[in-house]
Amino acid sequence: MRILLIEDEKKVADFVARGLRAERFAVDVAAEGPAALQMLAACAYDLIILDLMLPGLSGSEILKRIRRDRNEVPILILTARDAMAEKVAHFEAGADDYLTKPFAFAELLVRVKALLRRGPVNRASVLRVGDLELDRLTQQVRRAGKRIDLTAKEYGLLEYLVANPGRVFSRTMIIEHVWDQSFEGLTNIVDVYVRHLRAKVDDPFPTKLIHTVRGVGYSVDGGSEP
Amino acid sequence: MNTRSLRFQLVAWYAALLTGCFVLIGAASYAVLQSSLVGALRETQLRRARQIGQLLLDQTGSSGEARVGEEIQARYAPDINGRFVRITRGDGSLLYVSPAPNDQTFVPGEVPPPLWPSRAETASQVPLSGGRQMLLTVRELQTPGGARYLIETGAPMDDVQAHLRQWLGFLLVVLPIMAALALGGGSFLVKRALLPVDKIAASAQRISSQNLSERLPVARTGDELERLSIALNHMVQRLDEAFQYSRRFMADASHELRTPLTVLRGELESVIQEPALAPEWRERLGSALEEVERLAGIVEGLFAISRLDAGEAAAEWVKLDLARLAAATADQMSLLAEDKNIQVTCAAAEPVWVEGDQARLKQVVVNLLDNAIKYTLQGGAVALSVSALDSKAVLEVADNGIGIPAEALPRVFDRFFRVDKARSRELGGAGLGLSIVKSICTAHHGRIEATSPPGQGSRFRVELPLATPLTNSHQQHNHEH
Repeated sequence: MRILLIEDEKKVADFVARGLRAERFAVDVAAEGPAALQMLAACAYDLIILDLMLPGLSGSEILKRIRRDRNEVPILILTARDAMAEKVAHFEAGADDYLTKPFAFAELLVRVKALLRRGPVNRASVLRVGDLELDRLTQQVRRAGKRIDLTAKEYGLLEYLVANPGRVFSRTMIIEHVWDQSFEGLTNIVDVYVRHLRAKVDDPFPTKLIHTVRGVGYSVDGGSEP
Repeated sequence: MNTRSLRFQLVAWYAALLTGCFVLIGAASYAVLQSSLVGALRETQLRRARQIGQLLLDQTGSSGEARVGEEIQARYAPDINGRFVRITRGDGSLLYVSPAPNDQTFVPGEVPPPLWPSRAETASQVPLSGGRQMLLTVRELQTPGGARYLIETGAPMDDVQAHLRQWLGFLLVVLPIMAALALGGGSFLVKRALLPVDKIAASAQRISSQNLSERLPVARTGDELERLSIALNHMVQRLDEAFQYSRRFMADASHELRTPLTVLRGELESVIQEPALAPEWRERLGSALEEVERLAGIVEGLFAISRLDAGEAAAEWVKLDLARLAAATADQMSLLAEDKNIQVTCAAAEPVWVEGDQARLKQVVVNLLDNAIKYTLQGGAVALSVSALDSKAVLEVADNGIGIPAEALPRVFDRFFRVDKARSRELGGAGLGLSIVKSICTAHHGRIEATSPPGQGSRFRVELPLATPLTNSHQQHNHEH
C-alpha cells in the first residue's frame, strides 16, 4: 500500500511517515503542492494524506485538482482549523476524512486503515481477544462463553480498544472516538467507564484483558501475552 | 429627584439667578419710585413755602402781618387741598396755622412744634397719629426789616404710600409668576439641550464587546454634544480594534501552537508504543504526553472561545430541542455521577425549542454537569432542568456541593479563573470550561449567571431565546403528545 503524505511541516511529516512505515506502508512525502502533483502524476497511490496549510498551492486547491482529474483515491485531510462549516466544504470538495491538529497518531492510523479497508481495522463481524468475543452485528459480548451485558457507551469503548489489541489509547483519543467533541477535556469520564467495563469484563475472570498504561491510557491485550 | 444631576443643577441655577435678578429689579424700581414720589411732593411743598414766603414779604411790606392768614386761605385754601401751613415768628409765637383739612387726614395740632433749622430750607418726615407720615418742609425767611419767620408747609404722605403699596403688591404678584416662568423655561431648555445626552447614554449602554462595530448616533448640530458623540465613537472604534486584535491574536496563537503540539504528541505517542521501552520511561513519557494533551485542550478551548466571540458559529445553526439534548447528555454522563454516588435528576419533559449549534449547546450541558459533579461531594445531588419561561429557554444546573465563595462569583466565567487552583488542577481543569460556556451562551444571544447561596451549593442558569414557534417540527412534536 502506497501513501502520499503532503505536509510542509517537516517534523510532522517525519513522525507520520515513520509511524506509517512502521505499519509497513510505503510512504512518499511531498512538502509542497507542485511536487505533490508531479508525484501523483508519476505514481498510483492508495491514499493521500493532505495538509491544508501549504505554502504556495493550498491544500484545498490540490484537493480540487485531484478530484477534477477524476482521481478517486481516498484523501484524508489534516488541518489546524476545525470550523464545522469548513469541514462540510471539504467533504463536499471530495475529502474522505478529516483530522484536526494536534491529532493522535493512533487515531490517524485507525482512519488510514479504515480508508484503505484492510488489516487490523478488522472489518470482521466478530472480534476476539483471548477468550473475549465481540459480535459487531448484534453488539453482543461474550467471555468464556458467558454473555456480558454492556451499555451502549461501554460497548463502544470496548470495541474501540478490542479492534486494535495491544495498542495503547490515550484518554483524549478515546474521548474523540467514543464520545464526541462536546466531551473534550472530560478525560475522567474515560476512567469511570473503564472502571465499570472492568467490573463486567475482567473482574469475574482470572485473566485481566484491560490494562492501564500509567500516565498514557488503556489497552486491551490477549491473556497470552504479558 | 436626583439633585446631583446636571439637569437639576442647571435649572436650579438658572431659576435662582433669574429670580434674583427679578427681586433686584423689583427692589430698585420700588426705591426709585419712592424717591421720585417723595421728591416730587417735597418740591411742591418747597415751592409752596417759597410762594408763601414771597406773599409774607409782600404783605409785611404793605399791610403788615394781619392779612397774611386771609391771603393764604384765599390763594391756597390748605384746608380744601388737605395741606398744612404754619408760620411762626422769630420769637416763637404763631402767626398762622391752617385749619384742619376737610378730609380730616390730620389734625394741625398734632404736628410737632417747629425747630429752627440749620439751613434755609429743609424737608423732613414727621409722624402723625396712626403710624402715618407727613412730609414737612421748613423755610426760614428774613424780611428787609429784620423780622424772622419760619414757614412750614406739609402734606400727608398717604398718597405716596398708597402708590408704593400698590407697586409692591404688583411686584409680589408678578415676581412668583416670573420665577415660575424661569423655572419652567429653564427646565424646558435644559431638557431639550440634554436630550441628546440621554440618547448617547442609551446607545452607549447597548454597545458591548459583542457589538463593538455599532456606533453612537451623531446629531449634526455642531454643538458640544456632537463633538462628544464623535469622540465617544472614536473611542469605541479604538476599543473595537483592540478587541479584534486580541481575538485575532488568540486565534493566531492557538492556531500556531497546533503544529508544534502535533509533533510533540505524535513523537511521544510513537515512543510510548515502543515495546522495548522500560516501564519507568513509559510512565515519564506518558506523564509528558498527558500534559501535551492538556495543552492541546487549552489551545482548543482558546480557539473555540476566540471563534465564538468573533461570532463565526452561526453558520451551523439548526432548530433543536434543548430539553431532549440536555436529557440525552445527562444520560451519557450518568456513570460519572453514579461513580460519586451523586443523584442526578433531570426535569426536561416538555420540548423546548431553541436555535443553535447542537455540538456547542451540548458542550454547555456537558461542562455545567461536569462542573456540578466535580464540585459536589460523595452522595450529593445535582438537578438539571430545562423549561420555557417568558419567551426564554431556561436551562438550570443546581447542585448541593461545596458552592462558590461570594467573592469568586463575579469571576467564575473569566478565562483561566479557578476558585481553588490546587483542587481544580487535581481534577484536571484548565479554567476554560465556564468561559467556553459563557462564550457559547453569548454567541447564541443568551446569557448565563451563577448564584451560590452560602451552604446551598451553586446554581447555573442559562437563558436562551426560544426558537420562533409554529414551525413544522414544533407542531409535529405537539401532536405526538
